[in-house]
Amino acid sequence: MSVVIFFELICFIIAFITLIKDANFVWRSMVVFLLITCITEITGRWLRIAYHNNQWLYNIFMVIEAGFTSLMFGSILSRYINSKPIILSGLALLLLLYAHDVFEHGFLIYNDLTATVMSVIFVLYSFYYYFLLINDEQYIDLKRSPPFWWVAGTLFFHFGSTAVNLFFTSLPHVKIAGHNITYFIFTALSIILYSCWSYSFICKKWLRTISKT
Amino acid sequence: MQKMATNNIQNLILAATLIFLLAPLSVILYILVYNRRKIKHIEEKAQMKLAFDAEIVKTQLEVQEQTMQNIGADLHDNIGQLLSLSSLTLSSIELDDPEKARQKIEASIDLTGRSIKEMRLLGKLLQGDQLLGVGLSEAICHEITWIEKSGKYQVNYVHEGEMPANTNLDKDLILFRILQEIINNIIKHSFATRINIKLAWKAQNVELHIDDNGVGFNADSLPAAQMGMGLQNMNKRAGIVGGQVFIKSQQNEGTQISVIIPYP
Repeated sequence: MSVVIFFELICFIIAFITLIKDANFVWRSMVVFLLITCITEITGRWLRIAYHNNQWLYNIFMVIEAGFTSLMFGSILSRYINSKPIILSGLALLLLLYAHDVFEHGFLIYNDLTATVMSVIFVLYSFYYYFLLINDEQYIDLKRSPPFWWVAGTLFFHFGSTAVNLFFTSLPHVKIAGHNITYFIFTALSIILYSCWSYSFICKKWLRTISKT
Repeated sequence: MQKMATNNIQNLILAATLIFLLAPLSVILYILVYNRRKIKHIEEKAQMKLAFDAEIVKTQLEVQEQTMQNIGADLHDNIGQLLSLSSLTLSSIELDDPEKARQKIEASIDLTGRSIKEMRLLGKLLQGDQLLGVGLSEAICHEITWIEKSGKYQVNYVHEGEMPANTNLDKDLILFRILQEIINNIIKHSFATRINIKLAWKAQNVELHIDDNGVGFNADSLPAAQMGMGLQNMNKRAGIVGGQVFIKSQQNEGTQISVIIPYP
């Protein structure tokens, strides 16, 4: 089992325990998303060993990731603004790029342009959320704020992966200790992402417990 | 050669990833620090609100106290005297002399009538602090009636501009209390015979100008301890609603005081 899959499974278990009874449908949907993520990672690992190509699987997963992450951003931003127009615009742009990528090089090669733009869009959403948070007159205890930590994890992952996305085509030749460099970078980014997300799910559960008492 | 190029790309990717990780880290740290400042700012605002509310309550009490003092003085100096005199007149009536008795009864009726008139004025004075609900200008008019009653002062009151539709009772109360303090100072220290009061409603603020022809004082050379609680309170009170008090005075040249408060 790879380190990434281990952290994904841990995050999925935490999400299952903390969010399964959450009143918010969007947060509850994270359990499904993380389950799909774990299945994709395990299948992807098997495909890589057995068939040496798992890029088509991640092309499918990209659609699911774009959908669930946009849904979460929509929910988080809706506290401050009507988030539907920007979220739907982002999704429309991604759909166009996805179609362009598939038309350009087929479905078996990873849609790196769509992945790069998706990261940029999520980074922009994250910064926009922080901008709205700063301008909010109401005080929020950020140490225990689920949206804050969820966005932090997403921002770290997508901003951190920008360099990898930009040089994606040159990277297959760059290897360290027998592994592709992207393996180490994505492992580190995934640890940060799933740690932040796990913490945000715990905060969500904690807030629910507090509000009940 | 190719290995060198690969090493370069590897270093570039690692350095770029590190930078791309440091950027969000800085943003998140900044937000956490900013948020900590935000809570401090909110706490300070809450404290200021508490202090403001306390000052308003204190001002209300002072206005009521001033009204009570005025009533007490009026009861003692005017109504008490009038009623004593009428009692004395009535007790000195001799029924054997009907003409004299008639004159004394008439004098007593006159004294009682004046007492009733005084009582009516006193009733209005008693409502003085509630008059602010009707309007600041109305409350000032009643205060002036009280000053004029003493017969020692000639008071000119000018009211300029239109009172805004949205009034601010807190600011009205503070301005009214400042006026009372200024009038108290004039009565106690100035030996003035003429007082001019002007209330002017401007686009963004309300201005109260008061000047007298009293002995005045040298505002610059007056030590802080002698400035008196009254003057300090005026500045403090105007300050809590974002206003300012300007005092201009010279020895034997009277005093001019202007209070400017943003309104509403």
